[in-house]
Amino acid sequence: MSTRRPVAASLAVLGYLVMIGPLVFVVVTAFTAGSTVRFPPDGFSLRWFGAAVGYEPFVTALVSSLELAVLAACGSLLLGVPVALAIHRGRIPGKGLLEGLFLSPLIVPELVVGLALYQQFMVGLGMNNFTTLVVGHTVLMFPYAVRVTGASLALVDPSVEDAARGLGASPVRTFWTITLPLLRPGLFSAALLSFVTSFNNVPLSLLLQSRDFRTLPVTMLDYVQQSYDPIVASTSVLILAGTVLVAVLAERTVGFAKIFGGINR
Amino acid sequence: MSAAEFRAVSQVFGDFTAVDAIDLTIPDGKLTTLLGPSGCGKTTSLRMLAGYLSPTSGTILVGGRDCTTTPPEKRNLGMVFQSYALFPHMTVADNVGYGLKLRRTPRAEREARVTEALEMVGLAHLAGSRPKQLSGGQQQRVAIARAVAIRPELLLLDEPLSNLDARLRLQMRAEIRRIQAETGLSVVLVTHDQDEALEMSDQMVVMKDGRIQQQGSPQEVFPAPANRFVAEFLGYENFIPTNDALLTVRPEHLLVDPDGVASDGATSGGVSLPGRVTDLAYRGVDVLVTVEARAEASGDPVRLVADLRATTAPDLRVGGDVRVEAAPGHVVPLPAG
Amino acid sequence: MRTRRLTALLLLPGLVLLLAGFLVPAALMLLSPPGTGTADVFARLGQMLTDPYDLTIIGRTLGIGLTVTVVCVVLGFPVAYLLARSTSRWAGVLLAVAIFPLLLSNVVRTFGWLVVLGSQGAVGQALVALGIVDEAPQLLYTPLAIVLGLVQLFLPLAIVSSYSALAQVDARLDEAARGLGAGRARTFWTIVVPLSWPGVVVAATLVFAGSITAYTTPYLLGGSRQRMLSTQLFQYSSSTLDWAAASATALIMTVLVFGVAALSSALGRKARIA
Repeated sequence: MSTRRPVAASLAVLGYLVMIGPLVFVVVTAFTAGSTVRFPPDGFSLRWFGAAVGYEPFVTALVSSLELAVLAACGSLLLGVPVALAIHRGRIPGKGLLEGLFLSPLIVPELVVGLALYQQFMVGLGMNNFTTLVVGHTVLMFPYAVRVTGASLALVDPSVEDAARGLGASPVRTFWTITLPLLRPGLFSAALLSFVTSFNNVPLSLLLQSRDFRTLPVTMLDYVQQSYDPIVASTSVLILAGTVLVAVLAERTVGFAKIFGGINR
Repeated sequence: MSAAEFRAVSQVFGDFTAVDAIDLTIPDGKLTTLLGPSGCGKTTSLRMLAGYLSPTSGTILVGGRDCTTTPPEKRNLGMVFQSYALFPHMTVADNVGYGLKLRRTPRAEREARVTEALEMVGLAHLAGSRPKQLSGGQQQRVAIARAVAIRPELLLLDEPLSNLDARLRLQMRAEIRRIQAETGLSVVLVTHDQDEALEMSDQMVVMKDGRIQQQGSPQEVFPAPANRFVAEFLGYENFIPTNDALLTVRPEHLLVDPDGVASDGATSGGVSLPGRVTDLAYRGVDVLVTVEARAEASGDPVRLVADLRATTAPDLRVGGDVRVEAAPGHVVPLPAG
Repeated sequence: MRTRRLTALLLLPGLVLLLAGFLVPAALMLLSPPGTGTADVFARLGQMLTDPYDLTIIGRTLGIGLTVTVVCVVLGFPVAYLLARSTSRWAGVLLAVAIFPLLLSNVVRTFGWLVVLGSQGAVGQALVALGIVDEAPQLLYTPLAIVLGLVQLFLPLAIVSSYSALAQVDARLDEAARGLGAGRARTFWTIVVPLSWPGVVVAATLVFAGSITAYTTPYLLGGSRQRMLSTQLFQYSSSTLDWAAASATALIMTVLVFGVAALSSALGRKARIA
């Protein structure tokens, strides 16, 4: 295809270069034996991986990030799936408006949401930062829960549910035995997207941080500002590896591209 | 003079040979159909002729010129797609005028030719509509008008009637014939429907597994299928093995005699076999009679189906012994195997 | 009646959290931050819209946002087009490679540019090694660095949006156009682009809105020298604790984003009617 569409192909190559190129340099730098981030690296060693794993603030932050991401993903599904059900199956007026309302955290800048929660909850009400973070992240993940599960709910033929009712299943039983199993791919996609998005979030986590509880990306951001050693490169490579693992998992289960079809629009 | 020619053309996808070294001549000013089941290579052949696929090997001539590597936009062939492929963001008139615009036809002439093409398909009143507002049959006509408007060297139609309902399909057969006659265009039409091919073709080409099985006018092909595949495809259902050949007879040419007495015709090249009725299916106008008979040569059981007119059918019952017969003129010998 | 109550029961917990944890705080923040009032926020907003320093930041934010949007569409659409029209098995792999960065932390992605553009970085060292310059130039903390970082960040989004629009354009339409005499370029401009235009509008909107509100990239690659609205907002809310200014900045950002979203849906509607 490159020979027949030279202009498009050149632009595409440039695009991939910008997307992937810097990551290649990060990986190369992480294996340096020297003590500065420079190119070309001074020799080869794994010392910075050892340093990353042994650097207590990063490890603590990683645990915090995972904890927060799991809570936010669960919270948004627990509250968001019923909302998706109500929107797609309930007989209520103003469904479009309601859905728009639950998708609105996607439109409002995250920094603005963070600022609002910081001002009103932490400064205004004196709430602790962990609770505020969980609330903020959960709200921010609502759109994934509502839209992604909603999209897969829309694919479930309501007559299947009617058939279960006709065979004697109560509404609750129908939900657990018919609707929920059919929704599994959607739930999985939503959970995965929420988890990853929460884990990677910077604006909210940045504004709502405290000395006791801050996430890994925020901690790394701070570290980069202060010193410039390759520990951030090696940590980045570890995160990259973890993300690849998540992507492979996604590809094996639901299909990578499919997950992103749901949220993008 | 031929409109187009395939010379030893093959198309190989990986380890699948879609078209296997076919030689084919498309006659000028005639309607040629490529007929066969799905996967036989008919659409692949059409797409190679149109230039959307480059042959793996072989040469394609259009109007006597070698077009094998010419891109589709340089071939000046009018293609009608199965899905019609109308441009949804343009009006009907803009769709039809698209090719003329590319040819820098002056505006006045372009408009005249768009109107002419739309009048030919009877849709001049819908020039300003969007494709989405039209019925399937109307979209089909626009697709034809669009292809004809550029005055192509050949008009190519890929299963043009398969998305239409039965009544419309019959109507469009006649319509395409009429357009072909009016324009004098050479037309190649791909179809899997033998009735369509028989009714519309000047020349029909029967394909299977990337090879041409038989070609000729319907009058030549229908009474004398070249092999069992062609026979089956054209609706011959009864195959009777004999010592040196395979005989085939159409269901409507079989007679069923409840008295079981052999008639004279059977002796001179006809068929006459004893058997037992296993099924009777009444269909209003006719009755389908299934008979379990025995081949004379081998004694193997042969299942025969006779299609009898209900008004003249003899009184039959399931389980009754009968004799099945066909006159010599209705029995077609095929190469054995 | 029973289903009504059930529906309400399903909606209620989510709705409560959405209101209490998002809509109400956001409204309160924009209109009456702690210790100040609505009047202060709007007074500060008025100042910002006349003060040259603040206007520079707004202008830079919009300029960078527009540049990133144009670059992302110009690079992303061809990628999506080639991927959508390719029958090669590599197309799937390349699509996955394009989508993958969406899962990857912004910090990690942006950090790459520090390695590439930093004073000890690959580009600077390469320029020195080639003898083009004597000393590695300062490439970080420039608008170029921010644009590069944001393009890397948002190109996947542009590709995915364009791809889903292009995938819906029947490839037979391309063929029909070519059969009627249109070359590849002509087919692209008269058929492919008009039909996938709504997808391009969506892509541009997402990229623009993302670019003008992103924090990590301008923070790491722009620093205090190239402030954008987002880094400025953080400055007000964490260092100077100027709530009125923070709220006013948030208001500007929100209005910009909603304005673009409204413009885009109007354009999208127009595209659908036309």
